Amino acid sequence: MMFLEKGDLHFVLDVLAGLGKLYVPAESNGITRFVPYGGEKTQVWLQTNTAISPKEILFPATETLYRYETGRGKETVKPVADHHAPLILFGIRSCDLQAITCLDDVFLDGEFVDELYRERRETATIIALSCAKAGPHCFCQSMGLDPLAHRQSDLQMYDYDQYYGLEANSDRGRLLLETLEKHDLLSVSGRENPVPALEFALEVETEGITEKLTGMFEHPLWEEVASKCLNCGICTYLCPACHCFDISEKLDNAHCGSKIRCWDSCMFSGYTRMAGGHNPRPGKRERVRERFMHKLCYFPQRYGKYLCTGCGRCLAKCPVGLEITKIMELVKEVENDA
Amino acid sequence: MPEVAAFSGQRLAGVDDVRRINPLVPVQAQITRAITETHDTKTLYVVGLDGKVPFSLNPGQVAMLSLLGVGEGMFSGVDAGDHLEFSIKKVGALTGALHEVEPGQIVGLRGPYGNGFPLEFCRGKNLLFVAGGIGLAPLRSLVRFCIKHRSDFGGIHLVYGARTPGDLAFKGEIAGEWVAVEDFAISLTVDQGDRDWQHHVGFVPNLLRELKPAPDNTVCLVCGPPAMIKNSIVVLEELGFAAEEVLTTLEMRMKCGIGQCGRCNIGSCYVCLDGPVFRLADLKRYSSEY
Repeated sequence: MMFLEKGDLHFVLDVLAGLGKLYVPAESNGITRFVPYGGEKTQVWLQTNTAISPKEILFPATETLYRYETGRGKETVKPVADHHAPLILFGIRSCDLQAITCLDDVFLDGEFVDELYRERRETATIIALSCAKAGPHCFCQSMGLDPLAHRQSDLQMYDYDQYYGLEANSDRGRLLLETLEKHDLLSVSGRENPVPALEFALEVETEGITEKLTGMFEHPLWEEVASKCLNCGICTYLCPACHCFDISEKLDNAHCGSKIRCWDSCMFSGYTRMAGGHNPRPGKRERVRERFMHKLCYFPQRYGKYLCTGCGRCLAKCPVGLEITKIMELVKEVENDA
Repeated sequence: MPEVAAFSGQRLAGVDDVRRINPLVPVQAQITRAITETHDTKTLYVVGLDGKVPFSLNPGQVAMLSLLGVGEGMFSGVDAGDHLEFSIKKVGALTGALHEVEPGQIVGLRGPYGNGFPLEFCRGKNLLFVAGGIGLAPLRSLVRFCIKHRSDFGGIHLVYGARTPGDLAFKGEIAGEWVAVEDFAISLTVDQGDRDWQHHVGFVPNLLRELKPAPDNTVCLVCGPPAMIKNSIVVLEELGFAAEEVLTTLEMRMKCGIGQCGRCNIGSCYVCLDGPVFRLADLKRYSSEY
């Protein structure tokens, strides 16, 4: 393990910014999210995880798929030429990195590869940061994660009192360490104090939940829990792992426009409403069920992991307290006679 | 800056040099014919800009058809060898615009998507087609395949219903070609007949109950409005059809067609990727959410 004095962090960020497009957690306009590093004026935020997840860097809330021109007998389609500088994502927490692995499953791992996501993802170097404490809504440990480290990072940073301990998990991570060493920013001596296990205020039992949910599609529980949902969709917009999107048109004028993709939400009635009016998920019961089933049952069945990483953002921001942790507890408690 | 070069070099080493085409970007295709099937249904013939079939579609497979500036939608198609056919009912903005399309006009096309019908599973068996309204469009690809390879299949029975005689699609093809095919029974019904109507009157599930098609060595293929599918399934089970022998082809709202945008799932399956053809046995395991 190599060590970095916390006081030298801004030198490290300056070096990283020279290697690619560097994103750091920061406070920006009163909200914490990942922003392009802009030197000293960037108010780096490392106390807790950010309010908005880093998902938007790899999978933007809105992006252009292609541009087109029509009319006067000609039609042209121009895919967006997008040559990215290599991305460096600094300070990603275990929960958000786990969510990135979920996005990888969806966008990279099948018969069809999403090229826009791939271009960003394959150039991204991920520098993970261990959590110093668990927030009031955090439950990553219950979802099977280690809040101190995630093996799919390129470089793992451990938060020790005055130092960060650095460990490379990939060639890219090792190259970063070498680069930082050349700048005399690292030392081999430091204190590798064992970090005490984090105290979680929130714990939930997930054992067997996918199997139990498999038989609970028609359970009255969904009607009950859905009644207070406002279908506002904040849970899905803040979720670091929710990947659903819409594709629509943006017209510049009668002849030119773009095809755009933007995040969508299973909480909205228009999400599944078909031309002609039929909607397979017409009410709150169906939509709320879909969200929890997707995260805890369907996604695990398809990809072998939960689509919830315990980051707690949906718990923190749900206006009616419809918390996935409570749903998991309810699912565990109820009789399943379906 | 040498560091940047080293870092970029590292990056490029792992990246496929060939820039693949984004699967969400359509290819351009051309309409060569537009046939009016009913007052609200048209069949469009589509070829590539080179005049050839853009890609082949197995019976039951689907493709995304789009009009720039209007939208994109998933339709089941028929591969007619030198062109693709899409039969489209006018139900919204995109389908409305597609009904205005004239021969020579350019459309966007991407595919083929979906699993298609299990041809091997059907081979050697009797086939019972149960269709409602525009639901005959996806089944038509398999009907045509069976006609082309007639000796590979047993007896064929089509039970087809629509709201009124004017809503029955493919009337010309049914009366002209299909009735002439050996061992091909056709039962037509409408919810409401008119003075000239000489076939059955009533809903498809009721007609099934009346006709009592035998389940022996028979695969049943059902497609139509969700209510028709669900009610027909009830009758088919009463008649002794096993859930393994009943197939349906579903439609859902779709945006990507490649299992990523999320909305067309039935349980952990995506209709676009794992469907649109499902066995009743599988649907029972997932959910009835269609």
